Amino acid sequence: MSSSHLLPRMKPRVWIAAVSLVALGACSTGGGAVTDRSAAPSARPVTQGGSLVIGAEQEPDCADWIATCAGAIWGTYTMQVPTIPQVFDTRKVGGVWAPVPSDMMAGEPQATMQGGKQVITYKISPKAVWSDGKPISSADLKYTALQIRDGDDIFDKTGYDRIEKVDTPDAATAVVTLKSAYAGWRSLFSVYGVLPAHLLEGKDRAAIMKDGYSFSGGPWKIASWQKGTSVTLVPNDKYWGDKPKLDKVTFSFLPDTSAAFQALKSGQVDALYPSPQLDAINQIKAGLPGIQSQVDPQSGSLEAVWFNNAAAPFDSAAVRQAFSYAIDRKAIVQRIYGGLGVTQVAQSFNTPIVGAYAGQDFSAYQLDLGQVDSLMTGDGWAKGADGVWAKSGQRAEFTMVSLAANKRRDLMVQILQEQLKTAGFAMSVKTETPANLFSKITPKGAYQAGLWSLVDTFPDPTLSATFNSANIPSDANGFSGINFIRAKADGLDGLLEKVDTTLEVPARTEAAKQADAVIAKDALSLPLDTVPLVLLWADKVGGPLAINPVEGPFWNLEQWGIAS
Amino acid sequence: MTTSAPATTRPGFLRRFLRHRLAAAGLIILFVLLVACFGADWLAPFARGHQDLALGPTPPSGAHWLGTDELGRDQLTELMYAGRISLAIGLAVAILSTAVGTLLGAVAGYLGGIGSEAILRLTDLFLIVPGIAVLALALQAFGSSMITIVLVLAALGWTYIARVVRGQVLSLREREFVEAARGIGASGARIIFRHLLPNLAGVIAVGISLSVAAAIIAESTLSYLGYGVQPPQTSWGSLLSQAAGYLGTPQAYLLYTPGLLILVAVLCVNFIGDGLRDALDPRGRQL
Amino acid sequence: MVRYVLRRLVVSVPVLLIASMVLFWAVRKTFDPVAKLRQSQDPQAVQRAIEQQGLDRSLPEQYWLWLRAFAGGDWGSSSRTGEDVRSMIVHALWPTAQLAFWSIAVATVLAALVGVYSAVRQYSGADHFFTGLAYVGISLPAFWFGLVLIDLLAVGPRQRFGLAEPPLYFIGLHSNGQSGFDLDYLRHLVLPVATVSITLVATWSRFARSSMLDALASDYVRTARAKGVPRRRVIWRHAARNSAAPFLTVVALDAALLIGGLVVTEQIFAIPGMGRLFFASLGSGDVFVLVPWMLVVAAAIVLCNLLADIGYALLDPRVRLR
Repeated sequence: MSSSHLLPRMKPRVWIAAVSLVALGACSTGGGAVTDRSAAPSARPVTQGGSLVIGAEQEPDCADWIATCAGAIWGTYTMQVPTIPQVFDTRKVGGVWAPVPSDMMAGEPQATMQGGKQVITYKISPKAVWSDGKPISSADLKYTALQIRDGDDIFDKTGYDRIEKVDTPDAATAVVTLKSAYAGWRSLFSVYGVLPAHLLEGKDRAAIMKDGYSFSGGPWKIASWQKGTSVTLVPNDKYWGDKPKLDKVTFSFLPDTSAAFQALKSGQVDALYPSPQLDAINQIKAGLPGIQSQVDPQSGSLEAVWFNNAAAPFDSAAVRQAFSYAIDRKAIVQRIYGGLGVTQVAQSFNTPIVGAYAGQDFSAYQLDLGQVDSLMTGDGWAKGADGVWAKSGQRAEFTMVSLAANKRRDLMVQILQEQLKTAGFAMSVKTETPANLFSKITPKGAYQAGLWSLVDTFPDPTLSATFNSANIPSDANGFSGINFIRAKADGLDGLLEKVDTTLEVPARTEAAKQADAVIAKDALSLPLDTVPLVLLWADKVGGPLAINPVEGPFWNLEQWGIAS
Repeated sequence: MTTSAPATTRPGFLRRFLRHRLAAAGLIILFVLLVACFGADWLAPFARGHQDLALGPTPPSGAHWLGTDELGRDQLTELMYAGRISLAIGLAVAILSTAVGTLLGAVAGYLGGIGSEAILRLTDLFLIVPGIAVLALALQAFGSSMITIVLVLAALGWTYIARVVRGQVLSLREREFVEAARGIGASGARIIFRHLLPNLAGVIAVGISLSVAAAIIAESTLSYLGYGVQPPQTSWGSLLSQAAGYLGTPQAYLLYTPGLLILVAVLCVNFIGDGLRDALDPRGRQL
Repeated sequence: MVRYVLRRLVVSVPVLLIASMVLFWAVRKTFDPVAKLRQSQDPQAVQRAIEQQGLDRSLPEQYWLWLRAFAGGDWGSSSRTGEDVRSMIVHALWPTAQLAFWSIAVATVLAALVGVYSAVRQYSGADHFFTGLAYVGISLPAFWFGLVLIDLLAVGPRQRFGLAEPPLYFIGLHSNGQSGFDLDYLRHLVLPVATVSITLVATWSRFARSSMLDALASDYVRTARAKGVPRRRVIWRHAARNSAAPFLTVVALDAALLIGGLVVTEQIFAIPGMGRLFFASLGSGDVFVLVPWMLVVAAAIVLCNLLADIGYALLDPRVRLR
């Protein structure tokens, strides 16, 4: 009933120096209940042993992480992160999310330009081993890289399609050569991780991994995956880092949010990571006895109004700007997320997890009906007797497509509709399923405006996928581009390409911010908010619980335990 | 000569209907609901969809008798407009499916032969395909609007009444008054409409009332699954399912009012159906 | 009797065939079989899939190929999960069958008791009370009952009495790692079965009451009474037994619809049954699961209808199946 339907995993993003630090929303709202809403990680001492049950609102379709059947974020949270080793972890450094070499690596991988080609050297830690005791080696990196580059049924080849060759001078060293500069190289082996060549090479990888696999290079192993019911993890004895405190963790799939909350209240599950639907927010506001919570507004999921820049009336920059002045984004965020203490409006298409690259240019757009009037009249529109703008017989009316069965988004659409009516726009609503919206409607541009989320899955900016005119779906790119909004603005493509290919951090940041300014000036689309993340857990759960917007709330599951 | 033997006369009908106290009460309450919902433009305390974002959800108060919802909209106003959709869907589905079902059932029963066989096989086909699946599939294909919901629910609902009517017609067509009409050369259509259908009034009345109730419930279940009317349109079912997660929060009042109205409306049509059957078909028994 | 059953089965084959044709066409017209692949950023992936699965052929041709494979036991694989469709459906049937079985069992017994009691005490206070309850039962959607029952019987008691665990569970049919018929299973069953049963008892008890009233008014019951047969014996031996046939027919007919109709209950109680399989497949446009799913459910309905007829004949000796 409730899963927030998002765009498929976007191309990942590279990290850079720290900039704006969005303070974690420490908030408290009424209710004398025993809830702790501070975002400071809960760090209660734990005992060794015991088991926990965690509610998961979505079941992944398969566990072959690099294939098209994967891509569900809950698969990443529940099975991939606990079992698949990766080159870069996402950790908070100086207040911003950044890629940090994982404990699988002997040191930070080095990237250099050699004659127009980018050469990256990876050194693997001698301690790193698979669950069968075999060391994690350069052959594993090579196998993974080539599976993704040359595979048939791959979810996303971004970055890997630039790989020219992978050399393995010794078992602990892999040297990857890219055909051209790729500033987002840190996402390689970090979003997909590394797969064991000695178990998969020459075999049917999909068949081995699809329904859950027994190998592991992380703290946990998949003990069982009962389709439709649960996934159970047990400790991986061979893991070289901190071993899990718990003996067993079970993720129970609970498709119904209302029932999931009741399950937490009744003690049938010990933790939940619900998508912040209004009922969830109200439950938290009302106070859940014996339940702790943490809210993090710094997520990688950006909700925005997407204009089709190639369709009337939004082919006119003035109309897009007028729309942006007609909406009271602050009031919307306040109403929908205020209960969680989240009041921050998104002012850039770069989400907080790539906050270092984000400008604040959209903050110019605040509710201002005077601006709406002057922009619209300046563009040749006049208000008709019905209070709706019209230009040469054409009314300023349009349809907003949204995803079905998301109550929060339903309400957001209704607020937009009401506010736009006041400003002289007639908006109607059409809801679609994600499959339909992202495979039929948006690639063909058969819409005027839409409301959906853009999701970052790695701390590295790549707005070029969404805003570079080369990525407008067309015959040329086999309709695989995802510039669904048909964005085209002077100088924008160049800036976005610079972001993609500049390895030097300051220059890259500068280009990203300039691109942000261009996007905001023409109001190519309008960011609304980043969807806050909510983690709830019962009193009995202990350990340093903290949300990681990229790896999920269970990234440090090995440190969780029964509170002592 | 058109008076068909066992058909009922008006005064007796009205007296019998009103003697059924529950039916009379149901009729009055349903009438009030209809007036309130379809007269909402004049009667509702607030303008349609009027939001007060600063206010947000508040429990019932003097200004908002039934409280306000998430967006600060007056719940009473919302319920009145939502009732339009729910009642309209219920009535439209009932009338459409009963009309189609009665007609096809009567034709199948009266004609016999190949036409009858074809209609029967068609109802078989509808009987075996899983209703909820076809419903969701159709709504996926055509989009969930009020019209598609009505058409699809009616398409699934007509077979029941068609079977019942066919059975009744099969027995009625051998009766003397039908034989007599046929004897004086009345056409098939005339016999069906003038002689057979009036005698089926009881069955039809029950069919209508049952399908009004079934359609309102079906729509709310569809809403819960995400296939009901889409916002900004609302129905009682969609308000109910939207509020489902508020159980155990101070906003639980949003869950009870739409549920109560569905309950009341469905009870009313059921009582009216019972009353009609008793009044129209004195031989019928309490079901 | 055997000939009747065989004939019925033979007659239902063309109906199922026509249904499969219509459904195949409708599902393919609604969904793009490679929609999910289109979201991937490999333009060739779509082309490969189309060629591999013969999706570039005409629809009738595809239908024929599919039907041949289906009849031969090769149901293809899901475009969503890549699993074998037949094993997905078989796995989903089991929990649904359990839920349906217990709900029907409970609802039949309750409805029969309430129906007989109400008929015997027609127009008594109890009769009116049960009538009122039945009206409420059919006037609210199942999800409402499900959520309220969870609140009242599981969450409420746990919070009020500070229990470590709720008295009744509402996730799945077993606790993790458990199976079999035990107390744990029972604690999982009560709430979903109650949710499904409420509507069933409400409808069936009305039917049981009216067929019982019919039986009570019949000549043989009056004769039995006149002969001085004890009241209890008249009610159970004569009347109830004779009203059983029409009542059980209705039960069997409605039961058929449960196989595909438990969607909401399975959703709320996280039971991995047919309803959830259908909605997961519908949401992702998994045409390779949708068509076989509908056919399996249609076949189940045909079978239940047949069982209803056979049951009627066995219970009511006046009926001969020919």
